[in-house]
Amino acid sequence: MPWMNRVVADKVKLEFKDVDVEFTKHTTNLHVRQERLIDLLLYLRDKAGYKLFIDHTCIDFPEKKERFQAVYILHNPESNERVIVKTWAKDGKLPSLERLWPCAKWAEREAYDMFGVLYDGHENLRRMFMWEGYPYFPLRKDFPMEGIPEVELPSLTEIYAGRKEPPSHDYEFMHTRVPTLEDLERTEKSRLQKKAQLVLNWGPLHPGTHGTIWFLFDLDGERVVQSDVILGQLHRGMEKIAENVYYFQFLPYTDRMDYISAICNELSYVTAVEKLLQVEVPEKARYIRTMFAELQRINSHLLWLGTGALDLGALTVFLYAFREREKIMDIIEGNAGFRLTTAFLRIGGLHYDLAEGTLDVVKAFLKDFPAKLREYHSLLTRNRIWLRRTKDIGVITREDVFNYGLTGPVARGSGVPYDIRKLEPYAAYDEVDFDIPVGEVGDVYDRYLVRMEEMVQSLRIIEQCVSKLEKLPKSAPYVNKEHPAVMAPKEDVFMDLEDMVKNFRIVVHGESAPPGEVYVSGENPRGELGFYIYSVGGSKPYRLRIRSGALYNLSIFPKLIQDGTIADAIALLGSLDPVVGETDR
Amino acid sequence: MAMLNSNGFVLTTVDELLSWGRRNALWPLTIGLACCAIEMMHAAASRFDLDRLGVIFRASPRQADLLIVAGTVVNKVAPMLKLLWEQMPDPKWCITMGGCASAGGPFPTYSTLQGMDRIIPVDVYIPGCPPHPQGLLYGILQLQKKIKEKGVKKYDKAFEEFKKDMERQGLIPREITV
Repeated sequence: MPWMNRVVADKVKLEFKDVDVEFTKHTTNLHVRQERLIDLLLYLRDKAGYKLFIDHTCIDFPEKKERFQAVYILHNPESNERVIVKTWAKDGKLPSLERLWPCAKWAEREAYDMFGVLYDGHENLRRMFMWEGYPYFPLRKDFPMEGIPEVELPSLTEIYAGRKEPPSHDYEFMHTRVPTLEDLERTEKSRLQKKAQLVLNWGPLHPGTHGTIWFLFDLDGERVVQSDVILGQLHRGMEKIAENVYYFQFLPYTDRMDYISAICNELSYVTAVEKLLQVEVPEKARYIRTMFAELQRINSHLLWLGTGALDLGALTVFLYAFREREKIMDIIEGNAGFRLTTAFLRIGGLHYDLAEGTLDVVKAFLKDFPAKLREYHSLLTRNRIWLRRTKDIGVITREDVFNYGLTGPVARGSGVPYDIRKLEPYAAYDEVDFDIPVGEVGDVYDRYLVRMEEMVQSLRIIEQCVSKLEKLPKSAPYVNKEHPAVMAPKEDVFMDLEDMVKNFRIVVHGESAPPGEVYVSGENPRGELGFYIYSVGGSKPYRLRIRSGALYNLSIFPKLIQDGTIADAIALLGSLDPVVGETDR
Repeated sequence: MAMLNSNGFVLTTVDELLSWGRRNALWPLTIGLACCAIEMMHAAASRFDLDRLGVIFRASPRQADLLIVAGTVVNKVAPMLKLLWEQMPDPKWCITMGGCASAGGPFPTYSTLQGMDRIIPVDVYIPGCPPHPQGLLYGILQLQKKIKEKGVKKYDKAFEEFKKDMERQGLIPREITV
């Protein structure tokens, strides 16, 4: 995806004299003083067409006078250009963008939670992931990754077995802070001022919430007067981990973010790192990546279909969808050695070459799956109960898509053809032929149809990848091992001294990345998964921000459910399809 | 052990009978925390079909006697899980599925609980990230074995409490002499 071009940048410069335009290698940055931030963003949104809010985050520079730098990433859907706006937080304060983009308030709350930056004009500046009363700001550079051990929590299993010392695993008695139930109650109370009859908690440990999301509904009878979402029940500190490990070491962590579509996550991540390190990927690897990413997309949509239908009472679809999922997982397991969190991709290529017979299995799956898809359609698409539960529920307008930064099937269900695979082709998406299905109304039913059609399109892509891979010679490289930052494949390491030394060096010292910044995103089944990497050189990123599609897609939930009935919440949440591993990271 | 004598009678002890019943009808609580929950769903779905082991997921802690902690337990969830554990009636067992729940796994961070056994005692730890559904099946079989070997004596704390309660209220059961 191109970044803001010089013509537009000159126009901005004409309008705002004090804006510094910086063309870096991979991005275009506008540096602005904090007082002019809102004006500049308003101009970019209304005049220049940068109306899709991609992300907001902060970077901590402890040695600088104004410590936190705010980063805003915007996208122009007409010219297909992105821009980064940067400003410094004055005395740890920033203006809130709530009026401009409603989804910004979640991003701001996250920045407040992680960095302690305050936002003027924010409606309810609360902790996003940690609980009320947590005293630290974890993503600050002076906070250790392991946290500060304060509570004594020895192993109860050991104590009940009559042992005082922990012999079986090597760990400390002391543990980081754990909230009490009162803390959690305080967190809950701080979110909603009760207006109506009853506040209903849905979650955090409810099977219908697809993970551990905690919903609060203020109910007047069955009608939802207001609602809020408490996240952070799966906040594992991914971004903090990323700052503390080498680039290649973070790859398995990306699997565990959106654990349903692990290969898609990996693909987004390695694309970002490859852009930063300037690694070329061999053709074979690109096609294998595309094929597996699309298999994973079908896999992910099947889980959405199964659980979404299960929540609305259709148990059969769940069992049928899982039958097909097992087939895809077997293909993935046969190649990557792992079913779910695969770690199959590597920076510069793949971990393994295609396993023997993979293409035959994939072809058999391609032949088999359309009939199964027809089966799902016959179960649901014209089913009266399904139609009544999904038609005209949770209608998302086109404006809301931009205001809330919605991406993926949620945006496409509302008729916005936003698909990174077309806009900024990565892997081999520019060499394969496929269509982007879009909806018309933008209700739950349209999102259902869009995802169903996406599976058909994925089949098309896989088919083209298979025919291409069949033509490629078996000996074609699947890893670009000439590049100094790319590890050689295992079989070479055992046979070749040079490769062994190189791998040893990378494993011990990491890849050395040039200073710079890069924002690259991939089209995940749950929307745009972007990686904003800010590097100051060295083998670890200074800041790695994960733009989660699921988080932004979920941010519209309170608006959609307002004045709806409580029963629609389940259908609606199923159609937004968040995965907590990605929303909370 | 139960014995079948030649007249068709089965001789066994009450303990053995109870433990037989308990280990073959383990009802876990429906809780999914993270990646492992997907594999737990797979174990329950078409291919692996946990139902045939008598493992049927229950949505209420009051009906469950097994807690499968599937996924990363972060500090924020820890008190909630402990509450759910306390709401489950005795006898009850706990399986930690995967590295995160067992010992923190790949997340040695400020926000992750470094092992479920720090807040509740664990009976079976299943390694893996995530474990294969077969791993979960194996873990459940191991738990059944454990229940068989240890009986339920470890868990009759509730009966003692009940006895003490009776004594406190002066309702001491009369010893029946034959």
